Amino acid sequence: MSRWRLSPIILFAAWLLLPLPQPLPEARAALPTVEAPRVPLAYSLQEFRQAVRAGGPGKDGIPSIDRPRFHSASEADALLEEGERVIGLYLDGEARAYPQRILVWHEIVNDTVGGRPVSITYCPLTGSALGFHRGDAELGVSGRLVNSNLVMYDRITDSEIPQMLGVAIDGPLTGRRLDELRVVWTTWGAWKARHPETRVLNRETGHVRNYRRDPYGGYAPRRGYYRPQSRRLFPVMTESRRLPPKASVLGFRTPQGAAAVTREAVIDLAVGDSHYTVIPDAGLATGWVFHNPRRVAIRIDELTFGPAGVSGGGTEALEAINAFEAMWFAWAAFYPETLLYGAAEDAP
Amino acid sequence: MTALAALRNALVGRPRDAALIGGIGLAYAGLYLWVIGDLGPGGEGGLAARFPAWERVWQARGPLYFEPVGLIEAGPWIWTFSPLNTLLALGLGLLLGGNLVLGWRVRHGASHCAWRAPGGSLLAALPALLAGGACCAPMLLIWLGLPLAGALIPVLPWLLPLAALLLLASLLILARRLAASTS
Repeated sequence: MSRWRLSPIILFAAWLLLPLPQPLPEARAALPTVEAPRVPLAYSLQEFRQAVRAGGPGKDGIPSIDRPRFHSASEADALLEEGERVIGLYLDGEARAYPQRILVWHEIVNDTVGGRPVSITYCPLTGSALGFHRGDAELGVSGRLVNSNLVMYDRITDSEIPQMLGVAIDGPLTGRRLDELRVVWTTWGAWKARHPETRVLNRETGHVRNYRRDPYGGYAPRRGYYRPQSRRLFPVMTESRRLPPKASVLGFRTPQGAAAVTREAVIDLAVGDSHYTVIPDAGLATGWVFHNPRRVAIRIDELTFGPAGVSGGGTEALEAINAFEAMWFAWAAFYPETLLYGAAEDAP
Repeated sequence: MTALAALRNALVGRPRDAALIGGIGLAYAGLYLWVIGDLGPGGEGGLAARFPAWERVWQARGPLYFEPVGLIEAGPWIWTFSPLNTLLALGLGLLLGGNLVLGWRVRHGASHCAWRAPGGSLLAALPALLAGGACCAPMLLIWLGLPLAGALIPVLPWLLPLAALLLLASLLILARRLAASTS
């Protein structure tokens, strides 16, 4: 074969081997993060990395929902029961509900609310739902776990972030904290009553799943994996028997420490050298947490519960602190020095 | 008679045995699909099918575990249908069925033999069920209440090929024994 006849083949092979120009990661706004973690780190980031375990599915084997579609509350009524769990988000005047029965199959929704890109995340193994601002990045499911908790990754830098920690433990963003936003773990009936105009994530997720079944059990009533006394599946860094493993606690974190509550009452807690106030919200069966360093007295009768949460009664000048519900075993594993308010006695 | 001829004769030569193998294969496939979460309750009594995601046919969710491409609703059941998961389930089921039928024939053809093939074949089929069950819907572990997933997950990619190899090896050994007993 002559040299001239070979040339096109060589050129074609070279074209195949040449790397195609890729957009630089810097071309997009990275995941918004804050340098100093505002959470207590009970372990070094290396210890967290060493505690990471494969969870079974591969990377994106549990696919996030990247093009979510929504329908109205009245349309959702035909599909959801009043007592079913949803994750609620109220941001810039928009209310959204993400049914647990959908998120149990996807764990992350990359959404845009009021023009702001956000990720709504849910880990069924730890019963925890958190929201994050995400900039131009998308969060995905790495398929790995730490303390049974979902390890997310960001699709720009490939950094890995345990959901309940909210701090990157691996990759270029290591040590940086994600910008959290408050989401509410409640029932469809309660969310709809507070937010009648809410939009609801529908089943057109782009993936085929049996959204009528939860592979782990159920929440109404609690059964299977979600039973308070049932055992966890994966190892944890610290074990605590002060509450049943799957008991639900409302937890919050400060740079000085973490605290978890189980009782529904206005509570003043000293964490580190400062004070925090927890105000229960009976309508949504959750609580709102405020940094209250001057120990301002809360006037319970003057509290108002609206779409954006609680207001009035002395809360006006207080800084809201993010809080979220989680299973006790996971909370205690991430924050072993946590305060616990409401444990009647140590569980057997 | 050679082992291969005995195997072919046993698998397709007798309609009753072939039907039995097919029946066992289908039953095992159903069990496998149920354990991996492809088959489950939730149907509302009707019969419906839609296949909106053929583009995901090769997309893996985990080791040898693939994305469904369609949803079939039949009576109280819902089947999130993945052609590859179904082929794997049927393949393992037919291997198990072949093992059980050949094992039965070896035992009854040569009653003096102490071979316990059917029990061994059932054990050989277990890793595949564990592989499926431990992947995305760890139902078996939840029901058993065992914190075993952490220990099981690292060996997960090997369980399904291991089950297939064990069943295949067992089938060949049985075929050779059958050939020896009939020659």
